[in-house]
Amino acid sequence: MVLEATMICIDNSEWTRNGDYSPSRFQAQAEAVNLICGAKTQSNPENTVGVLTMAGKGVRVLVTPTSDLGKILSCMHGLEIGGELNLTAGIQVAQLALKHRQNKKQQQRIIVFAGSPIKYDKKTLEAIGRKLKKNSVSLDIVDFGECDDGKPEKLETLISVVNNNDSSHIVRVPPGPNALSDVLMSTPIFTGDGDGGSGFAAAAAAAAAGGMSGFDFGVDPNIDPELALALRVSMEEERARQEAAAKKAAEEAAKQEKEGEQASSSHDATMAEPDSSSASAVDDKRHKLTDDETALLEQALAMSMDDPKSTNVAVADTDMSEATADDQELAFALQMSVQDNVKDSSTHSEMSKALEDQSFVSSILNSLPGVDPNDASVKDLLASLQGQSEVCVRTLPLQKQNEDKPENEGDK
Amino acid sequence: MDSAAASAIPRGQVDLVDFVDWSGVECLNQSTSHSLTNALKQGYRDDVGLHLESDADEQLLIYIPFTQVIKLHSVVIKGPEEEGPKTVKLFTNKEHMGFSNVSDFPSSDSIALSPDNLKGKPVNLKYVKFQNVRSLTIFIEDNQGGNDVSKVQKIVLYGTTDWPTKL
Repeated sequence: MVLEATMICIDNSEWTRNGDYSPSRFQAQAEAVNLICGAKTQSNPENTVGVLTMAGKGVRVLVTPTSDLGKILSCMHGLEIGGELNLTAGIQVAQLALKHRQNKKQQQRIIVFAGSPIKYDKKTLEAIGRKLKKNSVSLDIVDFGECDDGKPEKLETLISVVNNNDSSHIVRVPPGPNALSDVLMSTPIFTGDGDGGSGFAAAAAAAAAGGMSGFDFGVDPNIDPELALALRVSMEEERARQEAAAKKAAEEAAKQEKEGEQASSSHDATMAEPDSSSASAVDDKRHKLTDDETALLEQALAMSMDDPKSTNVAVADTDMSEATADDQELAFALQMSVQDNVKDSSTHSEMSKALEDQSFVSSILNSLPGVDPNDASVKDLLASLQGQSEVCVRTLPLQKQNEDKPENEGDK
Repeated sequence: MDSAAASAIPRGQVDLVDFVDWSGVECLNQSTSHSLTNALKQGYRDDVGLHLESDADEQLLIYIPFTQVIKLHSVVIKGPEEEGPKTVKLFTNKEHMGFSNVSDFPSSDSIALSPDNLKGKPVNLKYVKFQNVRSLTIFIEDNQGGNDVSKVQKIVLYGTTDWPTKL
């Protein structure tokens, strides 16, 4: 929770046109910048972040240090690629911008993205580094893109000159399938010195790493063990339930398809009201954190286990992560795992209602690309979810349909 | 009068260390292990083993705000013979100066320390310029031996306050 003013220096030189990071070096850089801005402002509301570009016609300050996240994100649009990187001028301008920060109590930090080759010699870089150290400015360097001879060493010497008490870092990101922002999330640049911003980092990591990361669920175990535990528990229970449902899959598939179609048509007639409310919830689901989203998250986690069709997962979840505070994610994950354990029905929660409402569920599945609602495994999931909700005491007519299903499942 | 080694208080003046606003004290280019408190705070400054040291180069910029308005009479700056400060500039009531704007405006007073001063002899300042001091910035430009590192053993400020109130 360090009070900090940060200037982010973006590399928009020609070298960032390259596509060895997906979708392009420049885009990956822009995403990383967005995430960093979010993390900084979240870790301390009084933090300010500014952005400048180092290449192009010359060093240009896009936004002076501000705590308004919207302003920062909007200025990232419409940036042009071209020119050559001017590292020394960029750092000096960043230093000047920080010097004129409004709140003098903030510590000064510069984050540099270096995607093109460095043409300066070590002496120049050392002189700049000494100046930064003298004015107690910390420096973080993200070394990506071009890796010519000498670039890593030059940047290392720069960091070692500036470094004061481990406040400056350098991160080397090799090209590969992992997005630049994902790799950065586990580094001290993101997490700060200590644990500033770790909550945000953990939440973002958990959300965006639905099926693609080195760790389970991103970097949860390192940063946020509680969240990792909750996610793991709920995942295991989903798996157990799915295995149980899968055993009956082969025989029940045909019957369940018919049942499902009949059930959904009758549900449409009788459950008009909940449908409309859940439909509006569907529309707003990306912006409101209702329990409906918990159901989505649960299904998304299960489906990402089945097959790696995680693009839709990532889309839904990154929206969530932008809209929410990290605590709520933890609460939902815990709620999911708790709900599996506690078959207590006293609370008439929307979540159970949504799960029971098969038409709502199937409408969700229909809207998700790449999911076939008639797929056997999806039907199994629906059956298992309904089987869970049957234990809850309900006064809905749906109850009878649920009672029919277990009878079918009982017949083997 | 004042002996060379002791820091006897000039007549009528008080040691202003009690009126320093510690929450706002800043020092640029200090080494982390040898910080300003070693030279300024009571107890620390008398410990011969503790001193203030510069980091990247030999200059130091010390910013000291006070809890009330004071008049500054004289200063004592003690340091080792070779690495002790030589040229010292004082600025009043200028907040958050940086190394880049020390030359932007004239200093309220500029002193060249002699080896006697480094042993503890107070330097009398231009009293008229320090009548209404809310904060003091001490800029140590170079040191006696021209070394890369400046060291300061002790900094004492002598003066008076406007009100006879004691905090």
